[in-house]
Amino acid sequence: MADEELVDPKLYLEETCKPKCVRPLRAYQACIERIKGDESGHKHCTGQYFDYWKCVDQCAALKLFDKLK
Amino acid sequence: MHRNMRNSFRWQEKPRMCYQPSDDLFYWKIHTKTPSFFSTLKQDAAAGSSSMMSLRALALIGASISGILSFGTITSADEAEHGLPAPNYPWPHKGILSSYDHASIRRGHQVYQQVCASCHSMSLVSYRDLVGVAYTEEETKAMAAEIEVVDGPNDEGEMFTRPGKLSDRFPQPYPNEQAARFVNGGAYPPDLSLITKARHNGQNYVFALLTGYRDPPAGVAIRDGLHYNPYFPGGAIAMPQMLIDGAVEYEDGTPATESQMGKDVVTFLSWAAEPEMEERKLMGFKWIFVLSLALLQAAYYRRLKWSVFKSRKLVVDAVN
Repeated sequence: MADEELVDPKLYLEETCKPKCVRPLRAYQACIERIKGDESGHKHCTGQYFDYWKCVDQCAALKLFDKLK
Repeated sequence: MHRNMRNSFRWQEKPRMCYQPSDDLFYWKIHTKTPSFFSTLKQDAAAGSSSMMSLRALALIGASISGILSFGTITSADEAEHGLPAPNYPWPHKGILSSYDHASIRRGHQVYQQVCASCHSMSLVSYRDLVGVAYTEEETKAMAAEIEVVDGPNDEGEMFTRPGKLSDRFPQPYPNEQAARFVNGGAYPPDLSLITKARHNGQNYVFALLTGYRDPPAGVAIRDGLHYNPYFPGGAIAMPQMLIDGAVEYEDGTPATESQMGKDVVTFLSWAAEPEMEERKLMGFKWIFVLSLALLQAAYYRRLKWSVFKSRKLVVDAVN
């Protein structure tokens, strides 16, 4: 097998799951905009980040093992 | 005379065979009126003492609002603290009668040996445990012979080193916890013998952790020496990403992508923590079936014996 380039199916699946999770992604991006000028270091977007990745994870988890041996 | 006697006995309760609710003091306690918080409010209002009522009402409202608000602050701090929950992966050995993928255990052991064993011990697993599960006896003997084990004392009272045997445990990377912490910046790489049982949702958690290294969210800074992993409680883990595409060359030629290695090593770790799983599932299925039959038999037998009492008829012969 000429598999010099190993493509991790998880990354590929996470890319394909992005359109399904647009709403939390937009919320995360809006949060980034909101805290852009913050100097105090207390503001962070962990909540929106978790919401987005939870959505992507659930979408990708269903299909990932089908792609692995 | 008969009528007079009946009138004179009126205050007596009629003879009865069974329990009456009025017997129970507890019953009386519920059904008599005891003053409650709200009724005191009404009483005060009725009595015209409006100041007392508003104080009580204010106290009630204030307590409930502060309770609700404190919940709000708690949830916002908790998310990173608990870590992102791992998704549920469809492990091939998850079903009620499913066994391990033993080829995956073999690959996972290879990943452990080449990637993880330099920092993580598995001191509860012996080489002989692998025989018949992932390797043949000859292969395992050859693998064990590659390591040096301290044994002794010999007849001269000295400790000596010898090549490993099947009965030896997996080698430890560090002599003790302090050495492990010293080399790893104060963090102790935990022993992996039981890790999938020692963490909540262990199998999914370990897989998500190993394959989940990402850039931190906006506003989160991780200090030098730590790495961001959303699944790790707190988010900052000392271990760097270890599973990288192509890190291991599998014996059977499977492409060693990050998620493939993650799946195999978690299958290996699940086997290490629960080697009895396959036998347990078989036994469980068999005995649950047998006990359900026994339950049906026992239920029939109980009802057979009790039918005598359940079909009994009582005759009350009372003079009133």
